[in-house]
Amino acid sequence: MTTVDPQRRPGLPGLPGPDAPRRRRLARLPRLRRRGVEARPRFAFVVTVLFFVLLYLPIGMVVLFSFNSQKSLTVFKHFSTRWYSAFFHDHVLLSSLGMSLKISLVAMIGSVLLGVALALGLVRARGRLGSYSGLIMLVPLITPEIVTGVASLMLYKGLGVTLSTGTVMISEITFSISYVTVILRSRVAALNPEVEEAAMDLGATRWQAVRLVTLPALLPAILASAVLIFALVFDDFVLAYFTTGVDPQPLAVRIYSAIRFGVEPTINAVGTLMLAGSITLIAAALSIPRLFGRSGGLDLLSGD
Amino acid sequence: MTTTSSPTSPAAPATPDTPAVRLDRITKTFGQDAAAVADLSLDIAPGEFFSLLGPSGCGKTTTLRMIGGFADPTAGTILLSGQDVTRLPPNKRNVNTVFQSYALFDHLSVADNVAFGLKRAGVPREQTRRRVAEMLELVQLPAFANRKPRTLSGGQRQRVALARALVNRPAVLLLDEPLAALDLKLRRQMQIELKQIQREVGITFVFVTHDQDEALTMSDRVAVMNAGRVEHCGTPEDVYERPETKFVASFMGTSNLMTGVYRSGAVQIGGGPAITVGACPQIADGAEVSVSIRPEKIWLSDFEPDMPRARGVIKDTVYSGPTTTYLIELAPGVTVAALEQNTARSRNEDRWVGGESVEIAWKTEHCLVLV
Repeated sequence: MTTVDPQRRPGLPGLPGPDAPRRRRLARLPRLRRRGVEARPRFAFVVTVLFFVLLYLPIGMVVLFSFNSQKSLTVFKHFSTRWYSAFFHDHVLLSSLGMSLKISLVAMIGSVLLGVALALGLVRARGRLGSYSGLIMLVPLITPEIVTGVASLMLYKGLGVTLSTGTVMISEITFSISYVTVILRSRVAALNPEVEEAAMDLGATRWQAVRLVTLPALLPAILASAVLIFALVFDDFVLAYFTTGVDPQPLAVRIYSAIRFGVEPTINAVGTLMLAGSITLIAAALSIPRLFGRSGGLDLLSGD
Repeated sequence: MTTTSSPTSPAAPATPDTPAVRLDRITKTFGQDAAAVADLSLDIAPGEFFSLLGPSGCGKTTTLRMIGGFADPTAGTILLSGQDVTRLPPNKRNVNTVFQSYALFDHLSVADNVAFGLKRAGVPREQTRRRVAEMLELVQLPAFANRKPRTLSGGQRQRVALARALVNRPAVLLLDEPLAALDLKLRRQMQIELKQIQREVGITFVFVTHDQDEALTMSDRVAVMNAGRVEHCGTPEDVYERPETKFVASFMGTSNLMTGVYRSGAVQIGGGPAITVGACPQIADGAEVSVSIRPEKIWLSDFEPDMPRARGVIKDTVYSGPTTTYLIELAPGVTVAALEQNTARSRNEDRWVGGESVEIAWKTEHCLVLV
């Protein structure tokens, strides 16, 4: 770019250089052409900046006002951590946080166990049944969560099951299996079948071969999906809202209930803490494969 | 592994005559397709270096997988040292496999890869450590014990795969084109090494390859397979010098294969010369036959008296370092290749050039008449 832009090189008037004829020829072309293919696409740049502003401005406000010394949600006075200490003395919110952590942990373990088994099964199931199951497996990913939530609620009501922490856990597990399977399936398909055969050749039973060879090979992807599920379930509101009972409610549901009676800045503090936790987890999910010396953490999320 | 007794042949003591591997009328079909392996019977002697050679899709890998226990034969029985293992899973068979892809365990170190089989067999830790060290010594990788397989080169990984299989002291080692992924020079080196290791450990090797040079240089015996059947089984010299079928003659090296009609010691090539092949008592006069002469068995000079001869025109010369191949047209449509060594004695100006008329000669014992 710099060699074709004469304005960028004012200090070389007497030195036409070897590319001078070319430069003169290019200068006659329209301006757009002169900037060349390597020029920065300004429109795309503006759109990108706008996108990030719209995306992060509200979140930034929450973080900012969580450190406000005043109760106001519009005027920032001084820096203070009073809303954080208020949160840590609020037993209802704390018990909700504990409940959310518990639900996320159980949902993570349950959906990873089932999701890994499903991924192994789908890849190895030959024939039509396997490919149909593979398609059906994707349905929860595209179903609007509100539909899943209402459907779960109706199912529990129909069965006469009292809504409780248990029902939230079951629903969250069901909903999360697809994510695990989508992440794991391509990894399982990429495994060399001869490796498992080699383990059996060396005296391992089929189960030992899976445990000693296949699962360790999948470990980075399993850990990454586990962290992702934990973050997704922890943040989940819709499904939790429809399936939770009267026990300490999950944090997201608790916050929603609280803001109906007016917004306390404590919520900003909770939001900021949740954000920090989620970012930490997502960062962990992305970096786990790198810890194992493999490239590509981002592709885990895109499912490749 | 070794103590597993077979339900069908409980008392079959392994004598020196008991074949290490016996395949008895093995057939394998996949779905509705033609049989991948059709009614195949083979005996492989203990300590033998045995090769299954053939083009891709001939059933050699399927045969190996059935011996290893990774594929169930549709019909027939497999005996290892006299014991029926047809229905046993791989972990219950006293055989180990070196896979084409090496199939190393990437999350384990080289030493742990090699120790895998011993750990499964419950060998005491101290003995495991010693045997792993010995084996890494044998494959010349003692310095790499703590490395991960990913950090090794292709040749080194190949050795780890070999050590991992051999350390279990199997009765039979199965090798599925283990050298296919290596470059030519390394492959030549590994061929020699593999043969040395086999002599050293004395284990029966069953070696699958599509490379005839590899099969010829390494094997005690070779089974040439085509379309699920063994076409010819014998020593490398047998299958090369005296192929039993047209397929073997054309698959093993290059061959001048000409078809014609046999009549009292000569084959009349259609539209070409009569090739004197010597008397073949088992072939009736007037029979349609193929005659095969190896390019290196065709003489272009220094003829001995009473050799059969023919005249032809040099169509092309192919120089390839130590040898030169001449394509000689005996008659329109009848071309033979003749191979000459570029030895110190034959000088540049002695070579023939295209268009030159030459006389070729051969010995009748080098002519193979195949029905």
